[in-house]
Amino acid sequence: MNPPASRFLASLTLLIWGGVMAYFFFSNRIASYLHPAFHWAVLTSALVLVALAAASLVFPDPDDCGCSGQCQKPGRLFLVFLILTGPLLAATFVSPSEFGASAVRNRGIVTSFDQIPAYSPPTEPPLPQADGSIGESTPVNPSAFLPQNASGQLQAETVDLVYASAEPTLREDFENKDVEVIGQFLPARTGNPEGDRFNLVRMFVMCCAADARPIGVTVQGKAEFPEMTWLKVTGKATFPIEAGRRTAVVIADSVEEVEPPEESFIY
Amino acid sequence: MAQHIFFANKGRAPDRPLRRAGGEWGVALGGGVCSIDGAMAWFSFSPEDFSYAFLSVLMEGVPFILLGTLLSGVIDQFLPSRMMTRYLPRNAFLGICASAAMGAVFPMCECGVVPVIRRLIAKGLPVSNAVAYMLAAPVVNPIVALSTYAAFRGQGAAEFVALRLGLSYAVAVIVALAVLNLPLGAVLKRSVLASAALDPDAGGGRGGPLGLRLAAAMHTGIRDFLDVMVYFIFGVAVSSLFSTAVNQALIVPLALNDWLAVASLMGIAGVLSLCSTSDAFIAATFVAFPGVAKLAFMVFGPMMDLKLLFIYSAVFTKRFVIGLAVGLFVLIGLLCVRLSILGL
Repeated sequence: MNPPASRFLASLTLLIWGGVMAYFFFSNRIASYLHPAFHWAVLTSALVLVALAAASLVFPDPDDCGCSGQCQKPGRLFLVFLILTGPLLAATFVSPSEFGASAVRNRGIVTSFDQIPAYSPPTEPPLPQADGSIGESTPVNPSAFLPQNASGQLQAETVDLVYASAEPTLREDFENKDVEVIGQFLPARTGNPEGDRFNLVRMFVMCCAADARPIGVTVQGKAEFPEMTWLKVTGKATFPIEAGRRTAVVIADSVEEVEPPEESFIY
Repeated sequence: MAQHIFFANKGRAPDRPLRRAGGEWGVALGGGVCSIDGAMAWFSFSPEDFSYAFLSVLMEGVPFILLGTLLSGVIDQFLPSRMMTRYLPRNAFLGICASAAMGAVFPMCECGVVPVIRRLIAKGLPVSNAVAYMLAAPVVNPIVALSTYAAFRGQGAAEFVALRLGLSYAVAVIVALAVLNLPLGAVLKRSVLASAALDPDAGGGRGGPLGLRLAAAMHTGIRDFLDVMVYFIFGVAVSSLFSTAVNQALIVPLALNDWLAVASLMGIAGVLSLCSTSDAFIAATFVAFPGVAKLAFMVFGPMMDLKLLFIYSAVFTKRFVIGLAVGLFVLIGLLCVRLSILGL
């Protein structure tokens, strides 16, 4: 393949990649894929890729052939173009921008605080004591940082309740209080002898969706929804000991299907 | 205002619209494998889940690869090759030790480092030094030290940071010393070997007008980007398949034995292909596993995983890449199991 044609294919590849990344950023679809800290890297890369695509067309390669001195066959270059763009475009079209029940089950629902990646609840900084020593930091009262809905129920995340199941001070602040939790529906396959329980899960992310861990609480109440439906559950937070360990169970007063939140992840 | 419905389906179709396009294919092994959430298949593929994980890793990795390849173009045009060898110790062992520590000054992630070392090799950096930098730089750097410390807060963070960085450094040096004794033809791909041998400017930076050199640097960067991306796409596809379709509860019973725990978490690290800056947060959650297994996960993962298996193939021969994978698995496994005497 002659150098201009080869350069055109390379430029088109960069343009497609830059275009797709820009689309993810400007459509805010990127929020379902990456931690916010990486969003600007995606935009920057998109702009750089588009700029490179344009510049490589305008400025020819002084090294002539554009293929390290060995011109490649047209068929091979076209195959490389397809490999570089086909899967990207297909995945962009197919991806629902959230995991389904299959992937969540394969990763395992985290219901124990010690399996939550580096989560720690907000704490008050340690203060100097009367004897001059520095005291210990104390958990912040959830009412100080958790918003409440119009009915006065604490708007908790699944991760808050899972952590509270192991942290006595936090547990006191949630236990037997009315809470509102948003998450995705999954039928409970274990610990559900009466068939009146389900799991409410929310994905906890460190970097990107690939490292997402589903953090789940048990909800007591009969409900039938398609798997991974977004629900808002209101009810009483309880922390009974089941199967030898304390676990978070919300006794539901109501379960309502809702639109997916703008931020589907918790960080 | 949203309609309030008590314990009832809103009447929507039984499946979400976006999830209609594909189904799931489950495979039961030996009559079904019990998992975290009841009896389920060990393998269940969903095109939507696969494409979601695939895209998320691509979006995360491309900025780093782009940075690495642009840097490789600049190195190609503006870095005199003798400059590196001039500042590196002449003694091979000391040179390797210095190269493995260079990540502390020039940190690179495991995706971005490959195009950089390819260009450095072409500019005359000894392959053993390049391998030392390639293996150590993604871990032996301040960013990973901080993220590991944050991930293991309350679990002996300082010890984990010291062991992770120290062990990664030691492994990189040992592997590089082994590479030192291999013929170049057995290590480098023929095209890379040729570019290293035939580089007419191996003695210094290229001359010519700045504009032309910038254009050449850009085209070099683009070529490297497209080249590495082919391998990256294959690697991400394979790792996304495993991370979404394979039931990870299968490994939990292996946590009871140090040997099996170390081997299985290294296997998981290889499959998940996580970024070195974030993998510690995942390692810390394997609470059922001993500390040495988590350490093995964090040392092995940034040096060898499914996506790297493909990316390394852009520079090294297939035989070398396979040998490197096996060698790292065995070496890190043995060292980590040996470390269990520390009570980790």
